[in-house]
Amino acid sequence: MIDRRQLLRLSAVGSGLLVLPSALAFAQTGLTVEAVLYDPEAPVLGNPDGDVTVVEYFDYQCPYCKKGHPGVMEAVRKDGNVRLVKKDWPIFGDVSVRAARLVLAAGASGRYEQALESLMATEGKLADAQVDATLQGAGFTVARLEEAYRAHAGRIDRLLARNGGQADAFGFRGTPSFVVQTTLYPGVMGEADLTEAIAAARS
Amino acid sequence: MRLVPAVLIFLASLLPLQAAPLPADEAFALSASRDADGRLQLRWDIAEGYYLYREHFRVTGARTGEPVPFTATAGERKEDPTFGSVEVHYGEAVITLSETPAPPLEVSYQGCEEDGLCYRPETRRVDPETLTITAASGAGGAPSGWREGEAGSSASLTPSPAPASGDAGFVAALLAEGGQLWVIGSFLVFGILLAGTPCVFPMYPIVAAALGRQGERLTVSRGFSLSAVYVLFLALAFGLIGAVAGLTGENLQLVLQSSFMPGAVAAIFVVLALSMFGLFELRLPAAWTTSIAGATAARGGSYRGMAVLGFSSALIVGPCVTAPLAGALLYVAQTQDWRLGAAALFALGIGKGIPLVILSTFGSGILPKAGRWMETVSRLFGFAFLGSAIWLAAPLLPPGLDLALWSALLLGLASFALAASAAAGGMGFVIGRSLAASAGLYALILALGAASGGTDPLQPLAHVARAGDARGPDVAFGEIGGEAELQATLADGSAAGRSTLLYFTADWCVTCRTIERRVLPVEAVRTDLRPLRLLKVDLSEITPRKQALMEALGVVGPPTMVFLGPDLREVSGTRLVGTVSAESLSGSARRAGGA
Repeated sequence: MIDRRQLLRLSAVGSGLLVLPSALAFAQTGLTVEAVLYDPEAPVLGNPDGDVTVVEYFDYQCPYCKKGHPGVMEAVRKDGNVRLVKKDWPIFGDVSVRAARLVLAAGASGRYEQALESLMATEGKLADAQVDATLQGAGFTVARLEEAYRAHAGRIDRLLARNGGQADAFGFRGTPSFVVQTTLYPGVMGEADLTEAIAAARS
Repeated sequence: MRLVPAVLIFLASLLPLQAAPLPADEAFALSASRDADGRLQLRWDIAEGYYLYREHFRVTGARTGEPVPFTATAGERKEDPTFGSVEVHYGEAVITLSETPAPPLEVSYQGCEEDGLCYRPETRRVDPETLTITAASGAGGAPSGWREGEAGSSASLTPSPAPASGDAGFVAALLAEGGQLWVIGSFLVFGILLAGTPCVFPMYPIVAAALGRQGERLTVSRGFSLSAVYVLFLALAFGLIGAVAGLTGENLQLVLQSSFMPGAVAAIFVVLALSMFGLFELRLPAAWTTSIAGATAARGGSYRGMAVLGFSSALIVGPCVTAPLAGALLYVAQTQDWRLGAAALFALGIGKGIPLVILSTFGSGILPKAGRWMETVSRLFGFAFLGSAIWLAAPLLPPGLDLALWSALLLGLASFALAASAAAGGMGFVIGRSLAASAGLYALILALGAASGGTDPLQPLAHVARAGDARGPDVAFGEIGGEAELQATLADGSAAGRSTLLYFTADWCVTCRTIERRVLPVEAVRTDLRPLRLLKVDLSEITPRKQALMEALGVVGPPTMVFLGPDLREVSGTRLVGTVSAESLSGSARRAGGA
C-alpha cells in the first residue's frame, strides 16, 4: 500500500528528466539589474530620473519594432516618469550594425534621439544608401557620423556586444523584446501593453 | 438549481489564450531529405502567421565556411514601402543543394512572426549522410561564447520527451507495480484520503441542502441513493474533464479558476441561502416551482437533479490540484492513454465522495423530519451557504473584509439562535442559547479583528499579539513571471551555489492558503527554508510565459513546489503537489538544500 508520503514522493513526476539550461552560461554574463537597466554607455530617453526603466532590444530593420515605436514613445511620454533605454540588437546583418553605430555616434554630439527617430520612421528593410539618405534627411552629415563612430568605435562596439549578450542570456528569440524593471516581455508591445507593464512594475 | 450556465461559461473559457511567439524550431520546423536525383533538400514547415525571408537562406560548409550553392522555391512578394518588396515564404520553403559538399553543413535562415517578433538568424547543422539536424554553435551575429546558452534555453522550452517508465511517472509506477486495477484501487484510496481537505468542503452543504429539500420523505435508503447518484456523477465529470485536459494539454483547472468562477459560485450560494431563509419561494418562476413540486411527486426528478448537481459540482471541487490528480493528468498527456487516466480520476472522485455518502446515509436517519425543527434546520443550512459564499469569495475581496462579513454572519446566526430558542424548551433552549452566545462572542472578536486590521478569520487578533513580538519577517517569496526571470534572478551573484524553491500558487487556490497560513509559519519550516532561494509563480493570472514554465517543469497547477538545485536541475524526489505538511516541506527543503 502506498501511504501519503510515498504518494507525494512518487508524484515528483518528471523530476529526473528535467534539465533546465545550465546556469553556467549565465554566470558569465553579469546579467545584473545594474548592467541591464543602468548601462552607463547606453543612451536614455524619456525621463532619465524616472522610477521605472524600460529596455527595448530592437533592430533598425525589424518592421514591427518600427511600427510599434510611436506607441512605445507615447506610453513613455504620457507616463513622464519612465527611463527608456533602446538597446540595439542588430539581428538583420551588416546594414543594421552600421545603422546602430551611426546613430550611437550621433549621440556623441547629443543628437542621439533625432538620429534614432529618423531611422525608426522608416519601414521594413534597409540598404546602406537608405540609411545614409534618411540620416541626411534628418540633418546629419554621414561622413561626420562615420568619423564620430571611428573616434568612439571601441566604446560603441562594446555596447553592441553587451546588448547582444544580454538579449542572448535572457533567451530572447528576436526583436523587439522588452524588459520593464525586472520583468521580461519578449515580442511586440503596444502602448496599452507597455503602460500596463509599467504600472505592474510600480505595484 | 441551474448550474448549467456555469458549464457553458466553462466551455467558452477553453478558447486558446493569446500565444507567445513560438520557439524558432516550432515556427520554422526544418527537415532534410533527398530528392529523386539524390540531391539534398532542406524543407521548412512554417507555422501559420510566420514567414521566412527568401534572401536570408545561407548554406555553408561547417569546416570550410565556404558558401554552398542552392536553389530556393519561389516565395511571395511582401510589400515593403521603403525597399520596394521582399520575397518571403509562408507555409513552407524548400531549398535544393545543387551539389553535395563534404559534411557537415551549416544552414542559416531568418523569419518573423506576422506583426510580431522578428527572429534572430537561426543556424542548424545538417549531416548530409544521416540527414540529422542539430543546433549549430558559433553562428549568427551574436558575440562568441553566447551561442550555446541560447541554444540551451530554447531547447528547454520545447516539450520534454515522455519519461522512461519506472519511477518517473506516478501512474506508470503504480501500473508497473500492480496493473490497471491497482492504479484504480489506489486512486480510490487517495480519494478517501483527500476527502477531508478543504477543497472538498463545498460539497457538504450542497448535498445537505439537497437532502434537506426532501423533507419528510428523507429516509436512510433515500439519503444513500441520492447522495450516491450525486457522487457518481461528480466522479463521472471528474474523469471526463481529466481525460479532456490530459489529451488537449489545456489546463482546465486553471482556465476554470479565473477569479470569475469563485465569484459566480459564491453568488449561487447566496441565492441558495436566501431560498433557505424562505425569502423567495414566493417569487420563484413557475418552471422552478413546478420542477420542485415535480421532484416531490416523482422520484425520478430528484435523482436527475442530484445528477446535474453532482456533475456541476466537479467544476467547484475539481480545481484543487492534488498529487494524484497531477499524476493522472500528466500520465494522460504523456501516454495519450486517456482511458486509464479517466478511470483513475473517476475512482478518485468516488473516493472523495465515499465519506459524503456515509454521512448522508446516517444523517438522513438522524435528521428530524417534521414540524418547526425542519424549518430551523433549513435556516441553519442557509447560514452554512452564506458561510460557503464568504469562504469562496474571500480571496477576491480586499483583505480583512471577509472578517467583517463573517462577523455579520455570526451576529445573524446568534440572533437567529436566540429567537429560535425562545420558542423551544428543554435541550433545544440550552443548545440555542449556547450557540447564540458563542456565535455572538466570536462575531465580536472578528469585528475587533477587522477594525484593527486583522486578516485571518481564524486568528482575528493575532496581529495585535504579534505587534510587540520580535519575530523575524514572514517567509518571503520573490515573484517571477517566467523562465527567463528565473534564470535572471539566479544569475544574480548571491544565488551562487544555492538551491531554489519554486512555489506555484494562486489567489483562488484554497490549499495554497492553507499552506501559507498553517505550514509556512511553522518555525521548523522557516529554519529549513532559510538556505533556499524562495521564488513564487502567481497563477492568479496566467500568461503564456507562465504556462511555458509550467510546461517545462511538468507542473499541472497550484499548489506545486519544485526544488531546483544550484544547477537548475530539479532535485529528484522533492517535489510537493497539493496539500503539504510541515514535515514533508521540511524534508524536501533539507534534501534540496543539502544537494
